[in-house]
Amino acid sequence: MKPRCAAIFGYNEYSKQIVKQITSTFDNVGVFVIDDVEFLEAKNDGINAGRFDLSDDWQSIEALFDVESLVVFCALSDDAENVFLTISLRATFEKLFIIALAQDNESMMKMKSASADKVMPILQIAANVIHDILSKPIMTQVLHDVLYEDSPLNIMEIEVGDTSPFNGLYLHDLHFKRDFDLILLAIVDQEMGTTFSFASKGHNHHIDAGDILVFMGYTDKLNVIKQWNDGVSV
Amino acid sequence: MISRWVVGFAFFLHTYHPYQRTKIFFYNLLENQNYKYKKSFDIFMMGLILLSVYILIRSVKHEIPHAWLLFNNYAISLIFLVEYLLRFWLHSNSSKTIIEQYESDIFLHRPFSFSGAMKTIFLQKIEYVFSPSALIDLLAIMPFFHEFRLLRIFILFRVLKLFRYAKSLQRLMSILASKKFEIFTLIVFTLIMIMVSSVLIYVMEANNPESRINTLFDAVYWSVVTIFTVGYGDFVPVTHGGRIVAMMIIVSGIAVISFSTSIVVSAFTEKLDEIKEEKVIDRVNALKRMYLVCGFSPLAHEVIRKLHKHHVPIVVLEKDIKKVQEARSNGLLALHYDSASLHTYSHLKFDFEHQIEAVILLHESDVSNIYTALTIRELTKNIALYSVLQYPENRKKLFLAGINHIVNTYELVGMMSKIIARQPVAFEVIHALRSEETSTVIDEIILDAEMKDRFYTLLEDPLFYQRFSVLGIYSTRAKQFYFNPHPDKSIESGDIAIVLANRGLIDEFRSKLHRRGKL
Repeated sequence: MKPRCAAIFGYNEYSKQIVKQITSTFDNVGVFVIDDVEFLEAKNDGINAGRFDLSDDWQSIEALFDVESLVVFCALSDDAENVFLTISLRATFEKLFIIALAQDNESMMKMKSASADKVMPILQIAANVIHDILSKPIMTQVLHDVLYEDSPLNIMEIEVGDTSPFNGLYLHDLHFKRDFDLILLAIVDQEMGTTFSFASKGHNHHIDAGDILVFMGYTDKLNVIKQWNDGVSV
Repeated sequence: MISRWVVGFAFFLHTYHPYQRTKIFFYNLLENQNYKYKKSFDIFMMGLILLSVYILIRSVKHEIPHAWLLFNNYAISLIFLVEYLLRFWLHSNSSKTIIEQYESDIFLHRPFSFSGAMKTIFLQKIEYVFSPSALIDLLAIMPFFHEFRLLRIFILFRVLKLFRYAKSLQRLMSILASKKFEIFTLIVFTLIMIMVSSVLIYVMEANNPESRINTLFDAVYWSVVTIFTVGYGDFVPVTHGGRIVAMMIIVSGIAVISFSTSIVVSAFTEKLDEIKEEKVIDRVNALKRMYLVCGFSPLAHEVIRKLHKHHVPIVVLEKDIKKVQEARSNGLLALHYDSASLHTYSHLKFDFEHQIEAVILLHESDVSNIYTALTIRELTKNIALYSVLQYPENRKKLFLAGINHIVNTYELVGMMSKIIARQPVAFEVIHALRSEETSTVIDEIILDAEMKDRFYTLLEDPLFYQRFSVLGIYSTRAKQFYFNPHPDKSIESGDIAIVLANRGLIDEFRSKLHRRGKL
């Protein structure tokens, strides 16, 4: 199920940017803070803010959101508290989708150990972008536009279902570039649990239900292949 | 009449480009440590000095070929003479002095003081002539008059010329010069001790027939040998008084030796950091290409770690000494300088246009990054400036400061959150491809117009078909990205193909693309 609600823990510069970016794509976005200063600041900014502490009382979360369709951002300023928050949430909500921020690689490993689904190491992200701008400026600009800007080009991940026309086919039998004007970036084989790009080794991969195909292309073409995959005749 | 002619000639020289170029060339050759031929010149001159000394030593007990002597007495001396005259010429700018005097007099409605200008020039030149290094240079030329055999000993002054060419010797001298007062005190103390002890020992011993110390010179010689704790034993005091003097002078000698050792050691200790810094500056100045990182923050550490893969040296400027030491302990070329100060760049003598690939501003405050950017923009408009932005509201200020590329961590995290929450797998894929953690990467290939046919033909090659994806071509002229290009799409010189493939396959594609002849 695609998440429809988002809860952000902590109200700092990172949280502010997260709220700003995701508000339009979620039905319900809420911010949870520990201290009074952050609470007042969030309220002043017109944010739907609530209080929490690092105990195991998550009733306020359950009251506000459907945990099944909730994505959580652990964005506390202190890495140690953030790890504790992540592990506390995981202990209570086994299937909750948790995204955690980490200041560096060391904290990232701890977040992963604390069962965060995705970790964003802030230093590494910034360093990667600076490095990419220096070494591959055009590629960086193109990918930036595709990923983050309002561009006709986009990326899309599509999960192959049991009834998908792709189910049971071999990769080399499909010509996404020619037939759909799309480029397949990677296939994630859920059975193997690894990500690999088809281009890298030229494997003639057998597509099974549960595999995820990641495409890049124009939004309308991406919608066409999504419908095709969903079994809608186009 | 003469003064008018002199002023006219001074103006002519001041604006005559070949003359100025020649002067700059010789200045660089003789004085500019960063000039590319300076080191070769210094080695050449040191070679001449050592050769000269070798000939002198050899001539003591061996017959020297006449050609060698001619070379030593004339050729080497002539080269040194030319060098001396060049330094004399370069020491001051006479034409500029005349012009300044002329303009000053005109401004004050006075007749041009020809004698005043000449006096200033004379004083400037005489200042050079009597400088210690110029005196050594002059004495080193003396063997030129080889007829005076005694003057051959002046060849040894050529050894002193080594101070001019060997930087380490110059450094040694500057270290000792920092302890001028202490050394002077030591010399005075030693001289007094020698004088007093010489007189005392002479008084005590000279009239004793058993003593070998009979003259004042013997007494001075004995005092020097004793005070410096050598004690040959050829002269020994025999009287009680003489022996008491000897005991006193031996104790004083130990003090002299200890004092002089401590002066040298403390001078070196105090200058150790400076010496290390100069060594690092020498290494930096020798670099042909480099990235300049201003500010050693945790982000800087991470960026440098990634940039190291490109094998382009990285130089860090940081004003916090603790951070400099941390950077150095990580094996980085870090300099303890304020990146926002013009003085830093005038001292380091960076060639921004040719030496620096890009400047990356990674201070932890927008204020410092803006200040540094403005400083660098004062020096050059052409260098690419990259900066991290701490607070989004300062973005415009960074642009106004002349920064070309701005990265804001908060915005990045915000934008990534949107993708990661909606399409976590797609995000992981892009992240893995960009971070070059897998064998498959996204890369850029620069194209030229002649490559069009070869480019599209290669894509159909069985080696690349189904294994090599062209995401698109970026037109640098139109500043537009053409996704999944059709073979009809024209290619212009400077266009860039963004490709997705195995790293090795991309290299192979690139190589085949540039190969001449049929595929």
